[in-house]
Amino acid sequence: MAKEMKPNEIIGSIDYNPPKTDWMSTPVQIKPGMFCWGAKAKSINTVGFPNARDWNPGEEDWKLPENWQGTVLEGIADRLKKYRSFRLFMDICVRCGACADKCHFYIGSGDPKNMPVLRAELMRSVYRRYFTTPGKMLGKLAGARDLDINVLKEWWYYFFQCTECRRCSVFCPYGIDTAEITIMGRELMNLLGLNIEWTMGPVAACYMKGNHLGLEPHTITSNIEFMLDDIETITGIKVNPSFNRKGAEILFVTPSGDLFADPGTYTCMGYLMLFHELGLDYTWSTYASEGGNFGFFTSNEMAKRLNSKIYAEAKRLGVKYIIGGECGHMWRVLNQYMDTWNGPADFLEVPKSPITGTVFENTKSTKMVHIVEFTADLIKNGKLKLDPSRNDHLKVTFHDSCNTARGMGFFEEPRFVAKAVCNNFYEMPEDTIREKTFCCGSGSGLNAGEDMDLRMRGGLPRANAVKFVRDKYGVNMLANICAIDRAALTTSMNYWVPGVGVTGVHELVANALVMKGEKPRTTDLRGEPLPNAGGESDV
Amino acid sequence: MPEIEIGGIKKVALDEDGYLLRYEDWDEDVARALAKREGLKGLTTDMLDMLRFMRSYYEKYRFFPIIRAVCKNVHKPKDCITESFIDPVISWKVAGLPNLGEEMDILEFGPPD
Repeated sequence: MAKEMKPNEIIGSIDYNPPKTDWMSTPVQIKPGMFCWGAKAKSINTVGFPNARDWNPGEEDWKLPENWQGTVLEGIADRLKKYRSFRLFMDICVRCGACADKCHFYIGSGDPKNMPVLRAELMRSVYRRYFTTPGKMLGKLAGARDLDINVLKEWWYYFFQCTECRRCSVFCPYGIDTAEITIMGRELMNLLGLNIEWTMGPVAACYMKGNHLGLEPHTITSNIEFMLDDIETITGIKVNPSFNRKGAEILFVTPSGDLFADPGTYTCMGYLMLFHELGLDYTWSTYASEGGNFGFFTSNEMAKRLNSKIYAEAKRLGVKYIIGGECGHMWRVLNQYMDTWNGPADFLEVPKSPITGTVFENTKSTKMVHIVEFTADLIKNGKLKLDPSRNDHLKVTFHDSCNTARGMGFFEEPRFVAKAVCNNFYEMPEDTIREKTFCCGSGSGLNAGEDMDLRMRGGLPRANAVKFVRDKYGVNMLANICAIDRAALTTSMNYWVPGVGVTGVHELVANALVMKGEKPRTTDLRGEPLPNAGGESDV
Repeated sequence: MPEIEIGGIKKVALDEDGYLLRYEDWDEDVARALAKREGLKGLTTDMLDMLRFMRSYYEKYRFFPIIRAVCKNVHKPKDCITESFIDPVISWKVAGLPNLGEEMDILEFGPPD
């Protein structure tokens, strides 16, 4: 496992020569360090999913239900009817190979089954066998194969070696969304209870307590109080946010990771400071206390169930609209699914900034606006007093999160904000940013501990681009707008590019934000001495 | 099940991963024995303060504390836990806090999102 494997050993182990045997005749090997633990009976039972039992993917017997083949084939048939995209993506690939070397897991492992085309082919071959005439008649000649236990294990192994980042889709001349194939694959796994605990644990916690960590209301408020205390130490300003307050104009929802672990907590302090400075009439919720949605990595139905509490809470509190924090997959769900799953949110108004009067027309259907967009508008209209020199100790680059970049086309706003609050900003190479951004390597619920080998391999292409700007420009801070990034890239940078920290954009904003009545700042949000603070030491 | 012996008389039960089985068995001597078992050289009064804070936090909130909040509460620099215990999971164990299974990864590798 990567815990023991050194970076140069991982690099030395990558072999791009495919095995001599044909892919269909090369059986899957379930390798430790490359997979996550199976979901526990307790977690699966909490949400009432099928085949709840404790199981170990490393063992021979996966404790599958009887007639599991029938369940999977029925599941495919249902989804082919329900999702036109699924049938289209099963049919149209011409195997041109444009996607083959675009996947971070392929680049970091050399395993040909991590080529997106072949990962999809794992499922297409079964689709052909049972759902197309040539496949039914000609079998292997038509690229079709039976669904047996080894095929199922191969599916599981490789559909949980895809982070649904969709980089491959950018290069597909047909526009096949390979993430959707993985999504379908995971839905089918879910029918057999083949979930992973790192997603099912948070799903169960979110279902019962409102957030992935299972933080109870008094824990949420206590963690935020700790941050307020830190803010007061640094700025001398007492911030007083409200919780579950009826009649507030705005509901604020962010991923729960921001409430618990560094560096997310600094991003969270950034939100708190900004909203205080604006005098924004907003409230936190301890019920809709999760912006992220690990249900999305399980099944559509689960994602919809977890998502429903956001509108429910907005309605209960009677807010006008919702602002969402810095998160990646959260925004793919909000932007592409929320209004058709749980909308229309006709009880809300189209978000309008109370400070600038800007109406966010692009959020007309969801009524939920991205905080970075909200802040970019404030800066563009000159509503924030900023002192970017307070970030002069940082040389910053920006990692586009897969879901905000490829899922929303959200490229300019975070850069606009970062450049307004930092004097030293450098881009990574063009093929590794914006719509071609490389995944952190741990998205879609794969950021567990036991699959560290997989995560570090998948994180290599992104880390390599960071290394380039570290060595060329001295970059020491990797900014992003995603909670998974904040946790995963911290591990990945420590491993591949030591000396580079990880930050949310709103931490940088709050460092630069000149607040009314603040005391002269001597440190940044992390308690590090500011470059021009006259050499004063830590608080 | 493993056990640790305290002062040659008292025996305290651990689970297979080295976590204290009974929360109420914990005291300063148990903490010292746990620390030794985890390969630490010893426990300073500062370290004991950190452990006591973690226990009181757990009693109230049933969750991992924000690590630097522990440090702030015992008036230490924000990386006091990793400086003293290398890994937050070790501090959790030495504090006699329960084995939360897969959730322990949250303490070691960060939150799911």
